[in-house]
Amino acid sequence: MQRRGRDSGISQSLGKPLTKRVKESRVLLVGAGGIGCEVLKNLVCCGFGSKQSGLDSAAPDVRSGPAATAFRQPGIVVIDLDTIDLSNLNRQFLFRKQHIKKPKAFVAKETASQFNPSVNIEAHHASIFDSKYNVNFFEGFDLVFNALDNLAARRHVNKMCLAADVPLIESGTTGFNGQVQAIKKGVTECYDCNPKPVQKSFPICTIRSTPSQPIHCIVWAKSYLFPELFGTSEEDSTDVGVTESDNAEEVAKLKVEAEALKSVRRMMGKSEFAQEVFDKVFQDDIERLKSMTEMWQSRTPPESLRYEALKAEMDADIIKRGQALATQDQATWSLHDNLAVFCYSLDTLSSRAQSGEPVIEFDKDDKDTLDFVASAANLRSHAFGIPLHSEWEIKQMAGNIIPAIATSNALTASLCVMEAFKIMRSQPQEQNGLSKPTANNNLPTTTQTAISGKVEPTLGGAKMVFLNSRSTERMITTQGLVAPRPECPVCSPVYAKLAVAADSSATLQELVLLLQEKVGYDEFSITTDAGVIYDPDLEDNLPKQLTEYASAAHGNSFITVTDESDEAKVDLALSLTVTPTTSGGAATLDIIPQHISLPLKPQKAAEADGAVDGDADSAPVPASAGAKRKRDAEEEVESAKKRAKAGKAEVQEIDDDGVINLEDD
Amino acid sequence: MATDVQYVPPPLQDIPTAKEKKYDRQLRLWGASGQIALEETHILLINNGPGVTGVETLKNLVLPGVGQFTILDSTVVSEADLGVNFFLEDASLGKFRAAETVRLLMELNPGVQGYAVTEPLETFIAQDNVFAPYNLILVTAPIDPTVLAQIQTHAQTLQIPTFYIHCVGYYSAFSVLLPPAFPIVDTHPDQTATTDLRLLKPWPALVQFAKEKTAGLEEGKLNAQEKAHVPWVCLLLHYLEQWKEEHDGKLPESYPEKTEFRKLVRSGDPHEENFDEACAAVLKSLNPPTPDSSVREIFNAPETQNLDATSPPFWVIANAIHQFYTTHKQLPLPGAVPDMKAQSADYIKLQNIYKTKAREDCAEVLENVRKLEKNTSRSPKLAIDNKEVENFCKGAAHIHLVRGRPFQVVQAGQPVRFGDRAKAMAMELTMPESLIGLHIAFLAWDEYIATHSSPASEAGGQALKVPGSGVDDFESDTEKVTGIAHTILDGLIKEAGTFVEDPEYSDVKAKVGEFCLEIVRAGGGELHNIASLTGGLVAQEVIKAITRQYVPVDNTCLFDGVASRTGVLRI
Repeated sequence: MQRRGRDSGISQSLGKPLTKRVKESRVLLVGAGGIGCEVLKNLVCCGFGSKQSGLDSAAPDVRSGPAATAFRQPGIVVIDLDTIDLSNLNRQFLFRKQHIKKPKAFVAKETASQFNPSVNIEAHHASIFDSKYNVNFFEGFDLVFNALDNLAARRHVNKMCLAADVPLIESGTTGFNGQVQAIKKGVTECYDCNPKPVQKSFPICTIRSTPSQPIHCIVWAKSYLFPELFGTSEEDSTDVGVTESDNAEEVAKLKVEAEALKSVRRMMGKSEFAQEVFDKVFQDDIERLKSMTEMWQSRTPPESLRYEALKAEMDADIIKRGQALATQDQATWSLHDNLAVFCYSLDTLSSRAQSGEPVIEFDKDDKDTLDFVASAANLRSHAFGIPLHSEWEIKQMAGNIIPAIATSNALTASLCVMEAFKIMRSQPQEQNGLSKPTANNNLPTTTQTAISGKVEPTLGGAKMVFLNSRSTERMITTQGLVAPRPECPVCSPVYAKLAVAADSSATLQELVLLLQEKVGYDEFSITTDAGVIYDPDLEDNLPKQLTEYASAAHGNSFITVTDESDEAKVDLALSLTVTPTTSGGAATLDIIPQHISLPLKPQKAAEADGAVDGDADSAPVPASAGAKRKRDAEEEVESAKKRAKAGKAEVQEIDDDGVINLEDD
Repeated sequence: MATDVQYVPPPLQDIPTAKEKKYDRQLRLWGASGQIALEETHILLINNGPGVTGVETLKNLVLPGVGQFTILDSTVVSEADLGVNFFLEDASLGKFRAAETVRLLMELNPGVQGYAVTEPLETFIAQDNVFAPYNLILVTAPIDPTVLAQIQTHAQTLQIPTFYIHCVGYYSAFSVLLPPAFPIVDTHPDQTATTDLRLLKPWPALVQFAKEKTAGLEEGKLNAQEKAHVPWVCLLLHYLEQWKEEHDGKLPESYPEKTEFRKLVRSGDPHEENFDEACAAVLKSLNPPTPDSSVREIFNAPETQNLDATSPPFWVIANAIHQFYTTHKQLPLPGAVPDMKAQSADYIKLQNIYKTKAREDCAEVLENVRKLEKNTSRSPKLAIDNKEVENFCKGAAHIHLVRGRPFQVVQAGQPVRFGDRAKAMAMELTMPESLIGLHIAFLAWDEYIATHSSPASEAGGQALKVPGSGVDDFESDTEKVTGIAHTILDGLIKEAGTFVEDPEYSDVKAKVGEFCLEIVRAGGGELHNIASLTGGLVAQEVIKAITRQYVPVDNTCLFDGVASRTGVLRI
């Protein structure tokens, strides 16, 4: 067998032009958890960002010229805020036991670098929300991968990629299921085109006064009692909210109740602390609720618990008993058991608070906090005649635990990288390595690009890919990418930048004039995260300096300009960039790019065709869509065939994009 | 009323806490019984070629804590291995690939034991009883077909589940050899599919409860609060009685009747949540529970019908449940009640009514089991555990049986046979979405290796000649592999005794040709992310086979990376 280089297998499958692009690429990976570890391994092994730019400067570069200064350093940037936990090790294979508590990003880089020493990996232990990760930062990448576990960060990266006009590959897994979605401004749906389910919130009175399910008691223990004793107050919790169904009078009484608990908190460290807390929440508060007879006309009233009475029935060392029970988290503890664990966990948490932890937050993986929440929830359940549960079960409900396994992550990550190949193949070559203007904002939505008479599928044939490895018949399936939803508030605006010099004294008035002059607005309004700052009837803010808004906008949020005229144009979203200082004659206020032309907002009727490449209109695949999909696949094979010939015969042929004749290296 | 809790698998008495914490996220899927099965498993990977799909598979099994694994590979690490196998490092050069990979895989999980076998495959399989220590075998292509046939014979004798895996370029495939009878009790069906409330055939306790809860409903004697908390199960039972009175004792059966019935329920209240729930449940809850075909297949299986003293418990319980079904015309009640709007106390009562009935049904099945044990003179040592019967009763509607089938092993000079699957596979040829063409291309790829490699006595990974691997044999090999594939294709059509008309015939031929071209072009090389993906798919199926949970692939899964989709064929 002939000797092969490190990446000959890759170039044999991808073809040399695509292999070259992959090696020269600079990609961002947001998240180094379950999917992130696997994506990073695949990227490294496939040679993403492995070209050592300095080494072959002698090679002719098609991009040399004025733009060469903006040449990107090939490489992979990985950002993750988290540190490694024991429960990650069943799937996040870049981490070992000795890495527990270390930052995920650093350890991931360290381990993955060994797979291919020529890849340049940059690791950031930071939040993607940090202001340094602004639009300019995102513009520095050919492609972004989302490997996140929460909605807020996903939505944020989605928006930043739209603003920077960088393709995004979004992914997620739950148990045996997974999903991969390619997103590109103006071409496909964005992450926010479809509304996402909002986190379930319970009415405050259900939680605090009339619980009827175990989850109500768990939320009470986790989001009310625990923070009142050890953390910040419940006003910050998103689990509980005052809703229309809540009784205003009762809400006011609950405030008084919380105040009383705060005074109990001051007893912390004293031996009677546990009893004080217990009697306050399981005796006094329950008695108070019970006394409100109108509340119990159609409900069974609760029964209060008495610490002294329960304690009298138990052995002397309650805390020791609690400690022993806390290890038996699969058993359903009895009433007395729960009291013992309650006392034990309060004791442990109090000493932690006393020894310098000013705020303890509930964390499902922090056993002391879980012990407390489980026992307190069960005690409350007992008082209200609700079935008790084991700590193991309560952990799942309290921690919103999503099952996760190695296989689903490996599968989903591999699919992400497959979609990445397709997208990279489809991107016009001049975007590689150039600082591109956000110009395609202005182009009408292109559904398909006809090049050299051949119709190219959207994003090189990228699809929505679904994984369901629990099923056998349809383990991996696809659906065509869908065109952007014209009313989507996140991806329908045109994104541009507003550069303000740090020492600029430019006012909102100047911005208004600039917008009128550059974009040709008639009546319009300007909105920041905090609300409307300007509209035809609101001129109070006009003398204010823009730097005031810029500093409030954190560097990576946007101000939106909305056309208020009859034939309205789409919104303009401006990311505020504070430039260091004015150098000589440069303008202190500028909109980038120089030319902005906004299309009209779509008419409601003119949105009939939602599908980009014709096969996405409905989930159950109609016959015609299947045929279309088949054609797409055939085209793919067709072009692969061409690549094959080009690769094998060492003949220079037009690259499959038909755009630029790439040199084989 | 905690629906969330119902998803949690049974408690984990046998797993100590630190381990439980590490495996927390997966225990919530396959439970302690699945984890224990995984830890009792010893997997053998026969990795003959340069690919890493087998190693990727093992990675996904070492992480969740498989007990032991062994890699059989007599090759020494070369420069090329460093490029494809992410586990190997520069220091591995010149050492045995198996030993190095085992060492690095074991680093992933200190709880897992790995072993390397570096003797040549041919001498290894020539030994007596050499596969006995293993519970599962993974074989990666390329492999000498005569050796594969020998492995298959051993695996069939010992009834060891075995996987045969291909991964070339953008494409991959694997076939699973399962024992001739592979029954699964714990299939983890969708939660919505498992709800069986027996509303069409309620038993007295349930009827009584519904009557109590709906007494005075029509007369308007319930206050608003009471009315809004009548569980929807009771509402439906109440209106069903009313419907029967107006329809000569008949139940709403057809779709229009059910729609009409829903209107009747809605007339009770236009807004209340419990009435909404009742209306929403009409279409899916009012179907007579008939066991599906896979359950009936198990009832009629010879293993169920002809029990003896050593029959595995599955068949004894299946027989006992079949008796129950013959007597009652329904399966034992699972007993779970979905979350619904109700007073806590009422909901608990309702739960108890269902639980009690489920327990009674289970007791009857258990009685049947004990009688069968007696009649077949089963030894008391083999007495079937009550828990097992209970578990079986809960999932009785969703039990599944796979009849394992052998691999199609290609032999030089012999035509490829499809046997009793020829007709079905010939049908697949005309389906545009089918990946049968890819299967044929891989068969042709195997046959090329069978006819172009040196004799078995000299064979080893390095001696196998893979299509497209030479410097300039791409075009000639493409032609050869395509030629073989077209012969297999024609043979299949002939074996099925059918015709495929043009233009379909030409389309199929062209499609097979394209697959052949692509896999020859890759020259036997793997694309890393496809190998990784295939490792994920195979590991997932291995977990299904080991834990005997979930329904496994039966028996060949194909993956087309260009289209990013899988297809499953029974071959």
